[in-house]
Amino acid sequence: MTLTLYHCPDWGSQVIRLALEELGLDYRIRPMDWDAGDFDAPGFRAANPQGLIPVLETPEGPVFETAAILLWLNARHGGLGPGIDEPEAAAFLSWLFFVANTVHPGVMALIHPERPAGPGAAEETGRFALERLMVQADHLEALIRTRAPLWLTPQQPGLGHYLGILIRWAVYLPEDPGQRFSLDPFPALKAMLAAHEATPAARRLAVTDGLGAHPYTAPEAA
Amino acid sequence: MTLTLHHAPDFASTIVRFALEELELPHTLAIVDIDGGALASPEFRQVNPVGLIPALETDDGPMFETAAILLWLVDRTGRLGPGPTDPDRGAFLSWLFFTSNALHQAALAMFYPHRPAGEANTDAARAAAQEQIVARLGLMEAMLAAQAPRWLSPDHPGVLGYYIGVLVRWLILLPPAPYGIRLDDFPHLKAVLAAHEARPAALRIAASDGLGPTPFTNPGT
Repeated sequence: MTLTLYHCPDWGSQVIRLALEELGLDYRIRPMDWDAGDFDAPGFRAANPQGLIPVLETPEGPVFETAAILLWLNARHGGLGPGIDEPEAAAFLSWLFFVANTVHPGVMALIHPERPAGPGAAEETGRFALERLMVQADHLEALIRTRAPLWLTPQQPGLGHYLGILIRWAVYLPEDPGQRFSLDPFPALKAMLAAHEATPAARRLAVTDGLGAHPYTAPEAA
Repeated sequence: MTLTLHHAPDFASTIVRFALEELELPHTLAIVDIDGGALASPEFRQVNPVGLIPALETDDGPMFETAAILLWLVDRTGRLGPGPTDPDRGAFLSWLFFTSNALHQAALAMFYPHRPAGEANTDAARAAAQEQIVARLGLMEAMLAAQAPRWLSPDHPGVLGYYIGVLVRWLILLPPAPYGIRLDDFPHLKAVLAAHEARPAALRIAASDGLGPTPFTNPGT
C-alpha cells in the first residue's frame, strides 16, 4: 500500500508522521512549502479543499483532518488505539473527538490569537484560550490519574502523540511569555507525554524533523 | 445493547436522537435540566467529565462528543455510514471531523460570541465566525456537487446528514441579522437535508422534540 504524507516539520502533519513511524509503515513524504504557494496549488486543493495539512494520500483517495487519519490508520493497521470492536473504543473516541474539536482549536487560538475575533482582541483571545486549556488539561490529568487508559500510553500511541504536539505548540509558540502553557501543574499528563517522546519512533523523528531532545515536555524553538 | 441518552430538546443531543431513532435502537432518555444546572452536577460529571450533552451511557461505559457517538453507532450497527473496511471510509471520516472541528466549532462561536474574546468583542467574533461558516458550507456544497457520496446523500440516510441538518437549523434560526445563512445558496446540501427531515424517523423526533415539520430546511415554521 502506497501512502504519501503532505508534510511540514512541526505542523499538524507531524502527528501523522509519528503515527506512521510508530506503525513501521512504508510511506513517502511530500514536502510542503508555504512560501512557494504549495497550499494553494490546485492539485493539493483537490486532495483537501480546506488547503490544510495533514493530508494522507492512500490507494482509496486522500484522507484529511488529523484525527480522521489516525482513525483510518488504526482501523487498517491497528496499534494506535483500541480496535473498533473493543469496549475501550467508546471512551477513546469520546476523548479523541474532544481533543480534535476542543483542545486543538483552543491551542490554535492561543498561538494565533488574532484569528478568532480580530487583531484588536488578540490579548483577550489569548488569555481566554490559555484559561480554557488549563481546564482541559485538568480533565486530561484526572482521566489519566483515575483510569490510566491504555490508549494514552506508548502501547497505543495515536492520541498521546497528538496531544504531545498540541502541548508542545502551546508551551513554546505564544509570542507573549505570559501566555505560554506550562505542564508543571499536570504531573500525570507530563509523565504520559514524557513516555511518548521517549519511544524509538519519536526519537528518530525528533532528529529528522528537528524537534529537539524533549519535544513535548521541554520544547524549544528549532 | 442498553443505551441511555442524556438529552435536552434542540440541543446537540437531538442529533444523536435522530440517529438512534433511524437505527431503531431502543434507548432511555434522561432529560437534562440545563437551566437548573444539571450539567454541573457531580452525578452528570461522572458520565461526562467535560459537562456537556450529548452523553450516551452504553454497555461499554459512558460516551460523550456528538461525532464520537455517531461514529460509534455506525461501527456497532454497520449502518448510516461506511464501515472500517469500506473504500469510502477515509472520505467519510475526513468530512465527519471537518463537520465537528470546523463547522460545528464555527457555529458555536456564532451562538456564543462572548467565548472567544469576551463581551467587548462579540461583533468581531461573530463576523469571523460568519465568514468561516459560509466558506465551510461552500466547501461541503462543492464536494457534494462533485462527488455525490453515498454517506451524505438524498437517497441514503446517514449520521452526517442528521448532524449537518441540526447545525444548519441553528444557523438559520439563531444568528442575529445580518448574520446567518440562506440554505438556497447550497442547493445540493439542501436536497440532502430535505430528504433526511422527511424520513419517518426524523418526523417522529421532530414532533417529539418540538422542532416543526421541516426542522432542517425551513426551521421556525
